[in-house]
Amino acid sequence: MHRRTRLSLRSSSINDKENEHELTQLPASPRKRRSKLPVVEIDAEREEEVCVGSPKKAARKATRTRLTDVEDVEELENGSHGAVVTDLVGKLPEREKEYDELVGFVENVLSSDGSGSLYISGPPGTGKTATLQRILNHPSFAKKLKPVYINCTSIKSVGSIYKKISEELGLKVSGTTEKLYQSAIETHLERKHKTIMLVLDEIDQLSSSKQTILYSIFEWPARQTARLILIGIANALDLTDRLLARLQARCELKPHLIQFLPYTKQQIVAILKACLEESDSLSRFPEAALGLLAAKVASTSGDIRRALFIARRLVEGAKKEDRKTGSGIQTLVNIGQVMAVLKQVYGASQTLSNDLEEGFPLQQKILICSLMLMLKHGKNKDITVGKLYDVYKTICSRRNIQAVDQTEFISLCTLVETRGIVRLQGKKEPRMHRVCLQWDEEEVTSALNDKQLIASILSDVSCLGK
Amino acid sequence: HAQVAAGTPKRNIQLSNIIEECSNGRRVSRLLELSPKKLEPLPVEEPKTPKRNSRAASTQPTSASKGTPKSANKMKLIRDGTIKPNIHSRDAPVQHDANELALARERLHVSATPSSLPCREKEYEEIYNFLEGKIFDGCGGCMYISGVPGTGKTATTTAVLRALKQLSEEEEIPKFEFVDINGMRLTEPRQAYVHIYRQLTGKTLAWEQAYNLLNKRFTTKAPRRITTVLLVDELDILCNKRQDVVYNLLNWPTMPTAQLVVVTIANTMDLPERLLMGKISSRLGLTRLTFQPYNFRQLQEIVMARLAGMSAFNSDAVQLVARKVAAVSGDARRALDICRRATELADDQAKKAHLSVTVSMMHVQQALTEMITSAKVKTIRSCSRMEQLFLQAVTAEVTRTGIEECNFLGVYSQFEALAAFSGVIVPNPGRAMAICARLAASRLLICECGRSDIYQKILLNISTDDVHFALQASKLL
Repeated sequence: MHRRTRLSLRSSSINDKENEHELTQLPASPRKRRSKLPVVEIDAEREEEVCVGSPKKAARKATRTRLTDVEDVEELENGSHGAVVTDLVGKLPEREKEYDELVGFVENVLSSDGSGSLYISGPPGTGKTATLQRILNHPSFAKKLKPVYINCTSIKSVGSIYKKISEELGLKVSGTTEKLYQSAIETHLERKHKTIMLVLDEIDQLSSSKQTILYSIFEWPARQTARLILIGIANALDLTDRLLARLQARCELKPHLIQFLPYTKQQIVAILKACLEESDSLSRFPEAALGLLAAKVASTSGDIRRALFIARRLVEGAKKEDRKTGSGIQTLVNIGQVMAVLKQVYGASQTLSNDLEEGFPLQQKILICSLMLMLKHGKNKDITVGKLYDVYKTICSRRNIQAVDQTEFISLCTLVETRGIVRLQGKKEPRMHRVCLQWDEEEVTSALNDKQLIASILSDVSCLGK
Repeated sequence: HAQVAAGTPKRNIQLSNIIEECSNGRRVSRLLELSPKKLEPLPVEEPKTPKRNSRAASTQPTSASKGTPKSANKMKLIRDGTIKPNIHSRDAPVQHDANELALARERLHVSATPSSLPCREKEYEEIYNFLEGKIFDGCGGCMYISGVPGTGKTATTTAVLRALKQLSEEEEIPKFEFVDINGMRLTEPRQAYVHIYRQLTGKTLAWEQAYNLLNKRFTTKAPRRITTVLLVDELDILCNKRQDVVYNLLNWPTMPTAQLVVVTIANTMDLPERLLMGKISSRLGLTRLTFQPYNFRQLQEIVMARLAGMSAFNSDAVQLVARKVAAVSGDARRALDICRRATELADDQAKKAHLSVTVSMMHVQQALTEMITSAKVKTIRSCSRMEQLFLQAVTAEVTRTGIEECNFLGVYSQFEALAAFSGVIVPNPGRAMAICARLAASRLLICECGRSDIYQKILLNISTDDVHFALQASKLL
């Protein structure tokens, strides 16, 4: 069997066979040459060439061979099908303004030959990453920029971001500590280099107690010789003010802010139209249905993922209908279907009550009713599991129902908790857990769907007294 | 030894390179023969105890030429997936009685999942439609399935996947790969990557490498890729503070290149809103499915479906079980367990009386009381007299102050009064504290901060009614 060395393992090859394969393929590959050459002999220029040019290619090649290798393991059958792929990276409707602003920013930095930092914020599903991907793939920047895209959720720990960056830049590091990687990046920034565009997605993952890493990264653009465009992406609007307050003290360090607002109704309609056009199913959607869908999504979150998801679901439903009828006529999506899906998606408790009419166990009903009774008529609103159990037992005995014992009762509470009706806030003893009702009374009443029981229990105030 | 001498002096001998062999009953240690390059320390990813029983399986063509597998090599073979774990099999299969009750007991076992699940047709169809559509379209997606334990979530999902696998083998639908992970089976959320990678390729790597390879696999284009269906059970266990694992698992399906369908299962209905970050629940999408607890008719149908064609069970008895369980939790596992216990009870009776007995109401009632009965009253009754007195003192103190929490001093004064009243000699506080500690150990009381002696706080872990009820029979009341 092949025995892997630690080093080759780290370079994330699958097995040795590939390594050998790769080496025989590229006999004079700079990677190999570099590994044989002592570090001292490499002059700066050459190293740059080695770093920027070839390893990327070699890596690309390696990935290709590797992936085919992985694929070989799998069954090789026809994989791709004609489908509704909501891939909008190629062109991004309704984000032209932000895109232009970003391009302007990058061009500005490139022409001044300096560096700049940028922070992009916006709620989830507003197209931040998609816009950035588009800029990274921009053909006119490809020559002038060295793009580095890192998703900060993919790193092992906060400190390993340096390692990831230096790997992406193809830097040679003499050790494996965090400090060495950091200094390698910093020396690279001091040397002559192509402008780097460093995109850190989900940058809030990098926050730590002292924010040393975030600060040190955001201080790179202010270095004399550095040519770096640093772009951070996150959800929070005020992340730079909150986590990086000290950057405000120096004007050159302050990141430029761009905000991605939630999509409005018109924008969602335009995007959905562009998307449906691509998959030839626009004719299925009447204007009014699109409008309704867009208005609902825009009013709640403005998250395009949701809108695309709902549209997709409707198209799938229509397609299924097509398959069922078998005739060549395309089924249209009507307003009723849109309403039904929206109701299912947005009215959580309403759909609950529809489903729940049969499936609510009796003991859980009594538990919730006794909690409601205690909240309504009891003096103390601070209810623990123990107190609730006492009341529950009296109610059960009044009704001639066998009460469950305390351990069972605690598990009942957790079952009710999974529905989101109550929440247990814990000290360590289960009897001391606090029970909080999360829904309001009307919702609970409609969910339990047993007015008689609720009314009789709520009128039974004597159960509370001792 | 010759091998040691042959090696270059630069080599450092490491424990993992020395292997022990048993030849002619003598233990011989020798250095593993290695080329200098291979002398690097072995990658230690997950320290595992070498499986003893894999020795039998390791006599496979790969290692057969080398003779007995070397311990270091064995770990490597295990990680490579060449050696499969196996357990010792019995010499002869266990004999089963042909008894009808025994057969019923076997069928009622929770693990004996039926081929078609009764009362879950709607959910089955919904999951089936979702997965079939995704496989046909070759695009990614997510689904979130929730419901209380024992409502058939995992069973339904795996049944759907089994049916789809069957169809894909018959080439009715495109081929797909199926990977499942369970949050509870992982020691750490990040181990999910290792498990997914192992199921895809059979190799075990450290999580970081596994993640990098998976990321590469899902983010790069491959024209001949087939859809991967990933079933994530117990999603809430995978959520740590950073939630990076859940983020990555749900971010991959959004890539157009991944063709990954993720089906997540958890208990909590509002988990995406309650526990997950906004960006993650946005990725999770809105395909949600909730499994409602079974009602008594459904539970009855489930049990009857398992016992189809058998007369071992009284149908009224099944109904009683179903009604009792449906009133509490609607958990099918529980209903099956109670039925099984009732069958065992009936079996015992049949053995005693040498008669054929069907499971009747009586057996079910007995099984139910066994399962639902509270041991607390019995415990209080069997306490010593002083302990009973102490419990009474605690209840008296609670009724006096009206607060649940009382301190030892107050309880002790009540205890003194009660003891004087019933004419026993009052133990000194040290002894009373020992009594208190004993009661706390059996969890009748909860004592907070044990070292604060007479100022320690005492809480009742049972309701005051229980104490009165248990002591009514004794002479103390």
